[in-house]
Amino acid sequence: MLRIRRVRILGGLAVAALVAAVGVSAATSATNQASKVVIWADADRTPAVTQVANAWAQDKGVTVQVVQKDFGNIRSQMTTVAAETAPDIIVGAHDWIGELSTNGSVVPLTIAAATRKDFPAYALNAFSYGVAVKRLYGIPVALENIALITNTKLAKVPKSWADLEKQALAVKKKKKAQVGLAVQQGAGGDAYHMYPMFSGLGGYIFGANKAGNLDASDIGVANKKFLKNTKLIDQWNKEGLIRSQVAWDTARDLFTKGKVAYYITGPWFVSDIKKAGIKYKISAFPSIVPGFKPTPFLGVQGFMVTKFAATHGVESLAKDLVASYMARPASQLALAAANGRFPASVAAGKQVKDPDLKAFGAASQGGVPMPNIPAMNSVWQDLGAAWVRSTKGAGSIPARRSFIGAKKSIAQKIG
Amino acid sequence: MTSTRIAADAIVPSPSLLARGIGLFSGTVGLAIKLLLLGALNALAIWAVGVLLADEKWVAAVAVGAVTFLIDAAYLIPSRRLIPLKFLIPGSVFLVAFVVIPIISNANIAFTNWSTGHNLQKDEAIQQIEEVSLVQPADGTTYTSTPATADGELVLLLVDDVAGDLYVGSRDGLESLAPESATVEAGVITAAEGYEVVRSADLSAIDQELNALVIPTGDDRFVRSEGLSVAVELQPTLSYDEESDTFTSIETGTVFSDNGEGSYVAPGGEALEPGWRTRVGFENFKTVLTDPLVRDPFIRVFMWTFAYAALSVFIQFVIGLFLAITLNKPGLKLRRAMRSMLVLPFAIPAFLAVLVWAGLLNDEFGVVNNALNTSIPWLFDPTWARVSCILVNVWIGFPYWFLVCTAALQAVPEELTEAARVDGGGGIQVFRKVTLPLLLVVTAPLLIASFAFNFNLFNNIYFLTGGGPYGVDQPIAGSTDILISYTYKLAFQAAGGGQYALAATVSIFIFFIVAGISAISFWRTKALETVR
Repeated sequence: MLRIRRVRILGGLAVAALVAAVGVSAATSATNQASKVVIWADADRTPAVTQVANAWAQDKGVTVQVVQKDFGNIRSQMTTVAAETAPDIIVGAHDWIGELSTNGSVVPLTIAAATRKDFPAYALNAFSYGVAVKRLYGIPVALENIALITNTKLAKVPKSWADLEKQALAVKKKKKAQVGLAVQQGAGGDAYHMYPMFSGLGGYIFGANKAGNLDASDIGVANKKFLKNTKLIDQWNKEGLIRSQVAWDTARDLFTKGKVAYYITGPWFVSDIKKAGIKYKISAFPSIVPGFKPTPFLGVQGFMVTKFAATHGVESLAKDLVASYMARPASQLALAAANGRFPASVAAGKQVKDPDLKAFGAASQGGVPMPNIPAMNSVWQDLGAAWVRSTKGAGSIPARRSFIGAKKSIAQKIG
Repeated sequence: MTSTRIAADAIVPSPSLLARGIGLFSGTVGLAIKLLLLGALNALAIWAVGVLLADEKWVAAVAVGAVTFLIDAAYLIPSRRLIPLKFLIPGSVFLVAFVVIPIISNANIAFTNWSTGHNLQKDEAIQQIEEVSLVQPADGTTYTSTPATADGELVLLLVDDVAGDLYVGSRDGLESLAPESATVEAGVITAAEGYEVVRSADLSAIDQELNALVIPTGDDRFVRSEGLSVAVELQPTLSYDEESDTFTSIETGTVFSDNGEGSYVAPGGEALEPGWRTRVGFENFKTVLTDPLVRDPFIRVFMWTFAYAALSVFIQFVIGLFLAITLNKPGLKLRRAMRSMLVLPFAIPAFLAVLVWAGLLNDEFGVVNNALNTSIPWLFDPTWARVSCILVNVWIGFPYWFLVCTAALQAVPEELTEAARVDGGGGIQVFRKVTLPLLLVVTAPLLIASFAFNFNLFNNIYFLTGGGPYGVDQPIAGSTDILISYTYKLAFQAAGGGQYALAATVSIFIFFIVAGISAISFWRTKALETVR
């Protein structure tokens, strides 16, 4: 009995030791690799990023690992990711910058003067953040914005908003459609897609302080000039020009099935429109009231270096890849083309031939980048809900009251 | 007797096979398998301890070691008294790993200020504040740089981007480099006398050294490399004094000191970014109870959550029970087919079903209103949105209760119902006095568990209404937000988003609410058991 016991224990320990030895040697060999730069990219861009980064890595003696992530998850996971699995470089949108910077997740970059000149000032500004000192946190790669798309078989490109209204309602009547203008909202609202109308009526989100930085205490969601024009929203609601019940898929279907003459959307749905065989023209938004130009929100996407690059001992490498290599026109063209966007680099922009992308670019004129300060998190829901409440047909609340309520909520949340 | 035997055979796999399966784990083969599995476990543990020690996580390393030792002992020492341990230890490990630790870490977060802007450790924050305070002076220079070595020391060979002058930058400062001693190609120094340019392939090896190289240029300005080929002159705007633990603005002299809540704050209230994570005691609990922004919706949301969970479970149960009784009638045609049909909603992933329902219920474009020829604002009116939430939840949940009740009905002895009938009881009376009480004995704990589950069912609300519609004075929680979706919004929208600590605090409140309700219900349902 005693012998069996001893055999058991010894046998167990022997096997354990053997397996342990294998395990430990496997683990140590894994850590003895050459420098590796880890990049988090979204599905659309992963192949292009892999290609560009590998071309860079080849003569630097490093390896690059591109990890595919859901675009929105990149932002949320940056706060909770463990250092061992954290990325050195991430792709992201400019309006994440405030949050990522104040969380210390990304590090500031300094770029060569020549590189700086090759980007539109607003694109670099969109990626800059700071309370006292503004620093640059990302290299812009792609620009995106929404525009007005006209079904040229049903209507003409409108000269003014009144013209749009007249033509849209005529088509609505003829086609027995529920709305005249397809723009997505849904139950949760969509402040991004409603922004051209919001800005065209005199609304703004945050004012700027003396230093030119966004000021979260100056909320323009219910400013006096805008409130004066909210009667127009009530009118659009009454005549059925827009409806909050139209969600993203309904909006797309209304336009691709030829039920509405006008559609407000971005480059991401152009291929659907083409596939449906709709004859279309992309243009800027026509003026609604004098003194305010309806402009879309500008979105800038780009690459950032995370704080983990230093922990992993690849900070210089990561900065070189992002701030120098990815800023090159050739890289910009490849990265922007990956998801059908306009490249941020001016030199690369000149090489764009696609008339649709050019038209979207033209529609962005005069637009402002989405605010990149963390307080913006408190705005989206309320601003979207304000539009929903006053454009849902029966049971709608007058826009004036709705937007005043939204302003109060936002102010309360920002605190 | 024989009939029960056959039924058991149909459900449980052949006993002899099972016995043989268990038999595999005794004898020589069993011993070998056991040792192999233990060996694998030990290997994993040794590797884990190694990693933990390398990360200086002493407590975790000791815990892993001790637990592994205990498991080894329990399985290797042949003693009857240790047999219960074989089951107890793995069970306890999982209990601790998946229940106790998350609860403790959640509670731990609730006492901190973890939120957007307070995400780093203090030393990291100080470093980051110093880093983001750097500016490029108006007359500062940018250089195209080439890392090189001189006598084993790392230097930068620099070309002034504007003037085109050549320099060598080292820890001691900038020195001019004679143009004739260097080769410049396309604005980059590719070779210089007395210096060995670092080969491209070796750059990755000197990354940290390169990052640490600061070339002083006077007046606390310095040149530093940014990446591998760019170097810039930078100047701090804040200076940190370790002794007093304060930052001072170099330009204005404003002093920023630690406010004890994870930020450096000036007397005027201006705070430096970023702050850091620190303990703030019961601050978050105070916020939940006193801040109107958090407290007011909390009460409203709590009432709705309670109604939502209770009504959902009740209606699901009633419908499930009704269908179970209807289809329990022996000899009913197509009984099996109908039963399978009814279970279908259960087979569809719940969140997918919710997304489909969201489309069906759209008031102008949805199928439901079109089919009924109505224009009910299913998702756009607060009351109707609540109805929709319960409706969809019932649709998803009733098959579960149908299955449970069908099974439970088999457990009601026919002798009892027959006896009740013989005693002159009518159908409804028999159901109320005999079947239902017996059924409730079995299902009551499930009803309570289901209530707790529905209480925290995030997906159904999030994908159907997103918590909306929002009234004019509903800053955070909409009309259909339940406590858990409200917590989510609180975490990601209020005060700039990322209020993790506050959300953890609310979730502690939710835990006590659910635990309290469940405890009371279980206590009350004990009375039911006396029916037996």
